[in-house]
Amino acid sequence: MVRAICYTLAAVALCAALFVFTEWYVGKQFKEFYDAVEVLYEKVEDETANREDGFAVRTLWNSKKEKLHVFLPHNDISYVDYWLSEACGLIYNRRYELALGKLEVLKEIARNLPDAYRLKFENIF
Amino acid sequence: MALVLVRTTIIFITLLLIMRLMGKSQIGEMQPFEFVITLLIAELACIPMADSSIPLLYGIIAIIAIFILHQIVWLLDLWFRPVKNVICGEPSVVINRDGIDVFQLKKNNLDVSDLIESMRAAGYFNLDDVYYGLFESNGSFSALEKEQVASTSLSLTLVDLGKPDKKNINKCFGGDDFDKFLSKQGAKLRDVVVMTVNGEGRVYFQKKGEKYKILQTEVKEKW
Repeated sequence: MVRAICYTLAAVALCAALFVFTEWYVGKQFKEFYDAVEVLYEKVEDETANREDGFAVRTLWNSKKEKLHVFLPHNDISYVDYWLSEACGLIYNRRYELALGKLEVLKEIARNLPDAYRLKFENIF
Repeated sequence: MALVLVRTTIIFITLLLIMRLMGKSQIGEMQPFEFVITLLIAELACIPMADSSIPLLYGIIAIIAIFILHQIVWLLDLWFRPVKNVICGEPSVVINRDGIDVFQLKKNNLDVSDLIESMRAAGYFNLDDVYYGLFESNGSFSALEKEQVASTSLSLTLVDLGKPDKKNINKCFGGDDFDKFLSKQGAKLRDVVVMTVNGEGRVYFQKKGEKYKILQTEVKEKW
């Protein structure tokens, strides 16, 4: 009996710790990614963005997504891959106006994706 | 992740509630919450395994959530009697000294043929082989059997909660003998809770709101 209660409490504690960590970690990763996209966005707006800037954001995202795969469904991560590739392709070709639209979508995803997995009424039902 | 736990809990409670509402007929020798867990665990283990786009952690968290819920239900079961009755239900006495308790049968979404089937599975082939018959909270059938078994012949059900079984009636009675039998008992078909006849012509007859009677009749063909 005591052992069963201990196991239950351990499981509850483990889950609670994991929930707090996931919430913090996913939020942090997307905040950093959002900041990077924001900087790229400003550079694209000024038409000063180049191949290296796009490459830097992509490298940053690649390093983050390896770990994010543990916590988020892989399809959601592939949306970011898709829009980032499009934006980078347009930046390489210096088609800044079109790239701005793609980066806007990326910013929106980075801002809203962690929210889709938070403990909120609309997410539960 | 917390979302997975909350959603699993909601599904668990909903399933448990539905299983309780469905009565004992839907449970196969398990407590309702054990049955719900069996239903859920298989799916939870399968989905992240088969769908590589879902992180494995989602399945693991959901299974841990089920474990926690199981432990909580188990502890509530042990410590609080009223909670146990709500979660697991209570045994239902479906056969008593007066015969079949139709209210208890209907409460558990069962009919007389389900009862007879459960009795046969438990080794009782006639309704009057037992003093008391009850469905345990896990859906299994238990009985207090009579010292002497009334018959060595298998019974056929002729009427089940007012519904006649034409095939069995024709096997036992010729012409309008069945109607004559009913009118002799002063009963209309819809008033009959149960009527069974065995190969020796021994009739178990129960009218609504009355104690059962054991009667004798002539059967067309013996079996």
